[in-house]
Amino acid sequence: MLYIKCPHCGLRSQNEFAYGGDASVKRPELNKEISDQEWDEFVYLRKSPRGKHLELWHHVSGCRQWIKVLRDTSTHEIFNTYKSEEKVG
Amino acid sequence: MTSISPLNNVHLVGDHGNFKNKNPDEIINIKELKNFKIFQIVKFKKNKKNINDYKLSGLDFPDKLKVSKNKDARILWMGPNNWLIISSSSNLFQEISKNLSNVEFAITDLSHSKAIIELSGKSVREVLKKGCPINFNDINKNESINSIFNGIAITLDFINDKPDKIRVMCLRSLGESLYHSITDASLEFGYKAI
Repeated sequence: MLYIKCPHCGLRSQNEFAYGGDASVKRPELNKEISDQEWDEFVYLRKSPRGKHLELWHHVSGCRQWIKVLRDTSTHEIFNTYKSEEKVG
Repeated sequence: MTSISPLNNVHLVGDHGNFKNKNPDEIINIKELKNFKIFQIVKFKKNKKNINDYKLSGLDFPDKLKVSKNKDARILWMGPNNWLIISSSSNLFQEISKNLSNVEFAITDLSHSKAIIELSGKSVREVLKKGCPINFNDINKNESINSIFNGIAITLDFINDKPDKIRVMCLRSLGESLYHSITDASLEFGYKAI
């Protein structure tokens, strides 16, 4: 089981969280003309890296906030967690 | 209008489980709390005022994981800019309306949508440890925490310690399941439903 440090509540069990996908995906700008291919890539295409991966998690049974988690997909080591609005260097 | 409490069908008053040959202070007391006024209060993002400028029932809005209290009411921190007020006062809504503007806060009446179980006794933390993954050694009196118990989302309000008195809250529709989970976990210690 993973233990995730919620930036709002502190260290909590993974059971309280729901995985929310890749946190590095950016939605195309509003009102900007984009091709079908770009839209397709945004909606469906995801990388599946082995190693460090920035992820969204929802603390659904806690403070109900979305957070970002920098995790290693092969070892499951969690390097850092961030508030949703925080920029990750 | 008559209201039926969420645990009306399952809360059977009496002694249960392994209670024989035990001192009354060793067994767990389980009580359903009802007829409380419960409101969720969420501060809008566009409200730039400091939350410390507001008071409700004479209470400050607490910092994270904390509870502020007086004899009638408790305000629990539920998340950033999100609090739950639980009060025995019947005119809580009028008081909220007087103190908090509905353009600055989202206010929701949850009075009939929560089941509240109050556990007291020496072994309460041992019971809750069976289904809840938080570290109970780190939590003190007048703190609150959101977590899960056997997969049910709960709010824990630590009313007292030595002996512990803890309120467990969940959605009304999950109240009976939570009650069964908690009473099953309490059987080995013996419990008195009051």
